[in-house]
Amino acid sequence: MAKLHDIAVTVNGELETLSVPAGMTLLELLRDRLYLTGTKEGCGAGECGACTVILGDRPVNACLILAAETDGKEVRTVEGEASAASLSVLQQSFIDAGAIQCGFCTPGMIMSARALLARNPNPSDEEIKEAVAGNLCRCTGYEAIINAVRMAAKREAVTRQ
Amino acid sequence: MIGVFDYVRVGSVKEGCDLLAEHEGRARVFAGGTDLLVNIRNNGVSPDLLVDIKGIEPLGKLTVDAPDATIGACVPLNVIGENAAIAERCTALAQAALSVGSYQVRNRATLAGNVANASPAADTAPALLVLDAHVAVQGKAGGRDIPISELFLGVKKNSLAADEMITSIMLPSHAKHMRSAFIKKQRVRGHDLAVINMAGSLDQESGALRVAIGSCAVTPILLSIDSPIDCSAPIDELVARIDKIAQDAIRPIDDLRGSAAYRRGLIPVFLRRLLTMLVEREGGE
Repeated sequence: MAKLHDIAVTVNGELETLSVPAGMTLLELLRDRLYLTGTKEGCGAGECGACTVILGDRPVNACLILAAETDGKEVRTVEGEASAASLSVLQQSFIDAGAIQCGFCTPGMIMSARALLARNPNPSDEEIKEAVAGNLCRCTGYEAIINAVRMAAKREAVTRQ
Repeated sequence: MIGVFDYVRVGSVKEGCDLLAEHEGRARVFAGGTDLLVNIRNNGVSPDLLVDIKGIEPLGKLTVDAPDATIGACVPLNVIGENAAIAERCTALAQAALSVGSYQVRNRATLAGNVANASPAADTAPALLVLDAHVAVQGKAGGRDIPISELFLGVKKNSLAADEMITSIMLPSHAKHMRSAFIKKQRVRGHDLAVINMAGSLDQESGALRVAIGSCAVTPILLSIDSPIDCSAPIDELVARIDKIAQDAIRPIDDLRGSAAYRRGLIPVFLRRLLTMLVEREGGE
């Protein structure tokens, strides 16, 4: 009944060509077909932000996007953060600020923060809070996470100089 | 897999309407999908076909040329809320757009989808009601233009036929002295559905006042206010007068977000806040 759709989607800079059923989400595509399991499923309904990825230049919930509609699009996931040699400044800042406990929300937090820093390299605390308001954390609270994003913004500013 | 259905990305409104007509209610328009995909996954909605309209180029455009602003059906809420001209001319709409869901959700969710979903709590609905928005609708047989107030029939029920889709929302140009604002009560800061939401617009020169309330009846409600009002009247008097109209018009229920009595109690508090914002802004900052 439901036919397959051929898509060509660029994930973390790599072009992937696949056939996907219409009912498959981008989240399922990433985790189950491309084995990029950094992106997590929490609620599956756009409430928790654990599946946040960057589609084009905007962070979105991968659970609320169909794989079929990503044909021709660019997706960045948490796996695109680190280089072969080291973690990204943002990732290292999460570690240094103690912003990780169980770690389940971390990939989504990182992607929301990545998108924020791309559009606003020097965000205020209010702007950081707004940017991660769609990412729920049940362990650390949010203080350390906000500290981590602020720390990353400062460190990235130094790197740019 | 969130469900078993087919998916088609259409290139024109006509192609979309033909498919909707052919499937006689078994096809759904798919733009942002932030309500639709959740309903498919969790709420028993099971269409045969999703008609993705994001490839229809004009539907992705937001134009704020005089005299009207036109917001295409596929424009995400963040793009509307972040638009400086919308924030200036249609303040209530920009504020309402940015209060929907989270940042991630608003990068996908559309204005057309928010109103087509016809939730009584739709944040953009009160703003569109006080801004006198019209909805451009296309069907297999042709197009029509309906006032936003005629779109809402009941809880999650809109007045669109099975072969129809919203193509854009139009906002008329307003008098220079028109001010508008949107306010919302939610249980937590961050993202949450409204306990109540409210928008108002006031033409400070003529005294024409519009107030709309959401989450207090089966549809968002535009109050019938005997305008113009006297902007220089004491705020207590204005609040008392409009509260009476509002209390007669609303039919709030008890639900998990708040009781009917609490909602009724919030009305004068919100009216005071709203009217203060609208009246105080006279003559600029």
